[in-house]
Amino acid sequence: MTNWFHSWRAAVRIARRDAWRFKGRSFLVLAMIALPILGVSALDVTLRSAELSTTEKLSRSLGAADARLSDPEYGGVAIEQKPDGEDYRPVGDYDNKPYPDGPGDVSKGFPAGATVLTDSLGTAKLRTTHGLLQGEIRELKATDPLAAGLLTPVEGRLPQKADEVAATTHFLEASGLEVGSALAARGLDREYRIVGSYELPGDLKANQVNALPGALLKPLGEALDKAGMTGVDTDTTYLVGLKDGGAAGFTWNMVKETNAKGVRVESRAVILDPPADADVPLYQRPDYQRWESDGPLGKEMLAILATIVGLAMLEICLLAGPAFAVGARRSRRQLGLVGANGGDRRHIRAIVLAGGLVIGTAAAVTGTVLGIGLTRALQPVLEETMGKRFGAFEIRPLELLGIALLAVVTGLLAAIVPAVTASRQTVLASLTGRRGVRAASRVLPAIGLVVVAAGAAIALAGSLYTTQPTIVAAGSALAELGVVALTPALVGLFGRTGRWLPLSPRLALRDSVRNRGRTAPAVAAVLAAVAGSVAVATYAASDEAGQRAGYEAKLPYGVGSVMVREGGGRDVSAVRDAVQRDLSVAVRADVDRILVGRESCALWDSKEGCGRHEIVIPKANECPLYVDTPDGSDPAEKFTVAERRKLGQDWRCKTNDTERVFTSESGLVIGDAKLLTVLGIKDPGAARALADGKVVSFEKPQRDKDGTIAIRLITDQEAADNAQAAGKEVPGEIKKLAAYQVPDGVQGWGLAGIISPATARTAGLATAPLGSFFTTDKPVDSEQRQRLDGDLDRTAAGADLHIEEGFVGESNIVLLSLTIFAGLITIGAAGIATGLAQADAEADLKTLAAVGAPPRVRRTLSGFQCGVVAAMGVVLGSAAGVLPAIGLRLSEARQATADYEKSLDQGFVPDVPHIPITVPWETLGTLLILVPLGAALLAALVTRSRGALARREAA
Amino acid sequence: MLRLQQLTRVHGTGATEVHALRGIDLDVFPGELVAVMGPSGSGKSTLLTIAGGLDSPTSGRVIVENTDITTADRKTLAALRRRSIGYVFQDYNLVPALTAAENVALPRELDGVSARKARGEAVAALEEMNLGHLADRFPDEMSGGQQQRVAIARALVGDRRLVLADEPTGALDSETGESVLSLLRARCDAGAAGVLVTHEPRFAAWADRVVFLRDGAVVDQTVRSHADSLLSGQAAER
Repeated sequence: MTNWFHSWRAAVRIARRDAWRFKGRSFLVLAMIALPILGVSALDVTLRSAELSTTEKLSRSLGAADARLSDPEYGGVAIEQKPDGEDYRPVGDYDNKPYPDGPGDVSKGFPAGATVLTDSLGTAKLRTTHGLLQGEIRELKATDPLAAGLLTPVEGRLPQKADEVAATTHFLEASGLEVGSALAARGLDREYRIVGSYELPGDLKANQVNALPGALLKPLGEALDKAGMTGVDTDTTYLVGLKDGGAAGFTWNMVKETNAKGVRVESRAVILDPPADADVPLYQRPDYQRWESDGPLGKEMLAILATIVGLAMLEICLLAGPAFAVGARRSRRQLGLVGANGGDRRHIRAIVLAGGLVIGTAAAVTGTVLGIGLTRALQPVLEETMGKRFGAFEIRPLELLGIALLAVVTGLLAAIVPAVTASRQTVLASLTGRRGVRAASRVLPAIGLVVVAAGAAIALAGSLYTTQPTIVAAGSALAELGVVALTPALVGLFGRTGRWLPLSPRLALRDSVRNRGRTAPAVAAVLAAVAGSVAVATYAASDEAGQRAGYEAKLPYGVGSVMVREGGGRDVSAVRDAVQRDLSVAVRADVDRILVGRESCALWDSKEGCGRHEIVIPKANECPLYVDTPDGSDPAEKFTVAERRKLGQDWRCKTNDTERVFTSESGLVIGDAKLLTVLGIKDPGAARALADGKVVSFEKPQRDKDGTIAIRLITDQEAADNAQAAGKEVPGEIKKLAAYQVPDGVQGWGLAGIISPATARTAGLATAPLGSFFTTDKPVDSEQRQRLDGDLDRTAAGADLHIEEGFVGESNIVLLSLTIFAGLITIGAAGIATGLAQADAEADLKTLAAVGAPPRVRRTLSGFQCGVVAAMGVVLGSAAGVLPAIGLRLSEARQATADYEKSLDQGFVPDVPHIPITVPWETLGTLLILVPLGAALLAALVTRSRGALARREAA
Repeated sequence: MLRLQQLTRVHGTGATEVHALRGIDLDVFPGELVAVMGPSGSGKSTLLTIAGGLDSPTSGRVIVENTDITTADRKTLAALRRRSIGYVFQDYNLVPALTAAENVALPRELDGVSARKARGEAVAALEEMNLGHLADRFPDEMSGGQQQRVAIARALVGDRRLVLADEPTGALDSETGESVLSLLRARCDAGAAGVLVTHEPRFAAWADRVVFLRDGAVVDQTVRSHADSLLSGQAAER
């Protein structure tokens, strides 16, 4: 044991000094290993720091309070909640009726003698230097001790008077305002002074304004109500500090008592020390399903991560291996001397391995230290990007040690093959510098062949007999490892093609093939990188082709839409103006929506006095597969598979599930003939129908036999919901309008129908402005689009803009970066192999020079050596990459077909699956031709043409 | 100390067959320095590599300190080189990554001796040869002669008593060469056995005995001086 230790010490000393003596090479290998370690350790520190401890989380949500009490809005009935308060249900049986609704009285839950601080949140449009900005208004006395930790003051101070506010730094940035500016909310004729800025540690991107309780939300709500607008939705919660600090905090028993009064509690004490499951009434309910997330990383994710780490380590080993081999080759004489002085094979192995250990350790230290340092230095930037402050800068020594160990292991693994090779050299051969060409191992190719066969079989079975892409992927990864093991044998095959080549390439090829020990790892490194890239590129290209084929336009090409669903539609005209101003609009068709209830009601508004409308499908036109049943059972179950398949083709059941621009609840809009023009609907009957006061209907089932469409205006939404849940007739006034059904083949772009404004008026339908559809004279360019987006933001109307541009592929950038990545690896690996070849070729070059070869032969030779390695790698890699991608696609196609058939059985008629296989020729071309060429040129350029037998300069 | 019996070495087979050594017999005793001379290709270096166990003979026996190394396995041979046999080559004898003291300590450290103890022995060996001032220099900070003297120190560190030197002065000027040989001579006078391969008669004059090789066979042996050999002990009586 001690013997072993002492001889290793000597080995490490030699390796350490050698690493220092050949700084360039050492640095290259160190960088190769340290870079990924840097990335991973930085990621670890960032994730761990961003991950908050329970105490840190509580400080951000509760401040210094013992609990936060809030109203679950169940009308004050008793509730049962999860210990953390995230999930809660009213007590009682609500199987066949909706949950009670309405505000409760939170103050009933305040413990005796407790300090209470209100925390109210609402949204409003605030006037900024650019226009309007939707922002949060938070009324909280932030200077109260209970609020400590909720928000972090940055500049100035927190508000102390009713006309003062503070704002988040992000809000100030977005609004162009600053501390000292005046702030106003739209609809309120009053100004507030911004006295300070702050940030929310958990949400740095919040646009929030802080005011004292009652200072902003209440006056704003009153002013808006007075103007006939809907007021401000305010959500008030209560921070509670127990009397005398409450020794045990807000206990679970107190929480349960408070729940009984219909109040939800988020308690510090309970969250820090949750009760046993048996003590949680909610968990005892027979119908309650607990939903727990299984941690940040699932098993599958871990498996994928392990695979990626494994493949990355393999790649680094393949790249760094030749570098150690060069080192061992260059210090052959030194290793021979050690042998002559009694160094045994294991001592020689130890010296080369120690090289891996030294560089691996250095890379581990450099990588982790830089990773930690960089994270620390970039902490503010990282926090801004993630949108939240770190809890604490957290370094987990064990995890970092594990990551650092990866570097050491990688270094050692990379040095194993060179170490074994070096130790097998006889002392005499090392000392005399004789070059022995060793016969290639026969075991490795045999193993490789077996692994390739096994992997391919698994992948093939996966793509032909199963629908699980993971099997294909696993088989392909296995096969790829096999190909890597087969590389030396494959490289040998290339040697046969050399006979017809001119001198330099012939020499380069022969040399590469004869010295497979150094060529093979480099080729394998290229192979692995190229195969991976080509596989992903092929998959991505095929996927994009599939997406392109399956793309459904929301509107005719070049047509745009802009929709505003806010109450009152008061911003619609501003939005329309912005479109008209920023784009070269050819035709603009304005549309309105049917309004039920007050003028200020938004779409889907559930406020008092707001309603909605729906199209009533005549009983005879209902699809039997989807009819409502009184007992809530699935109507489709009554039919056989064959009947369902047949019904799926029935006109009543063909759902109009195309991608669409969202307009109104039912898809009905109020518009004129211009809308037909914009949407490219050429059917003359439709235009005539509009002029005749008929509804243009795009969906056959909604038109009754008598040629009318029934629209139900629902004013009491709660009653409607209850009736619907019970399978009863929904209450509401019904308007019947004459309708014209467009012929089959005329596309309505997702609209259910169009009603002309005159018809709506005649029928007594109230309307509200909704937005516009438009065509433009010329395609909208990026500059116009940005200007319009900016202008729409400034109206703060929450407008939805869509301009149909057809299919826009996203993966081009992915393909490009993959190509570049594979190219870099190729050039790097080929370069290392070339350096190695150069070290060996000195004697050959001397001989060549002696027989009169011009100096440039040296350059061309190294160029070709580099090119040969790159070419072999990319050819093998491309072949190894395309096949698994095709397998993966085939397996996906099987899955899609199976899903399609299943849908047909259910009575749905989805689109026929289209899983094309596309070979990315541009990527392949670049990799196969440009990359080897580039590698060769680069190598030729950086090689000195002077060298062997050069005359010495006169001193 | 070293006994070679009927040593033959044939390189290659068939048409490329070369007889490097043909039935060599040679004994080297403690305290004796034997010079081996001969023209290029006469088998001098082959003799030395076989004697040190770096190469194996086609037939015959090599006995070092009563061990037959022709039948020994690789590990035993390596151990023998650590403990019994020291080598000095023509040039580049020192591991460039190690200081003089570390170079001398190398065989001991490889043998599992602790770094501190090995260094102590190495420094003692260097001082004994008046090379103590070189202990912490790296090879590229020393002259060729200094490097060769350190190599001799390394060849004899620990209990090693047999030095095999292959043209140790080949890359040195004559004056430095003399100083290296005088050191080697002194070590042999102190009890070591040495085999010196050289083609310079001037350096061979330092030896107790000169063996001439031609085409792999011993063609002549001379004794430096009968009186000298009498003084140095048993060698002449053989």
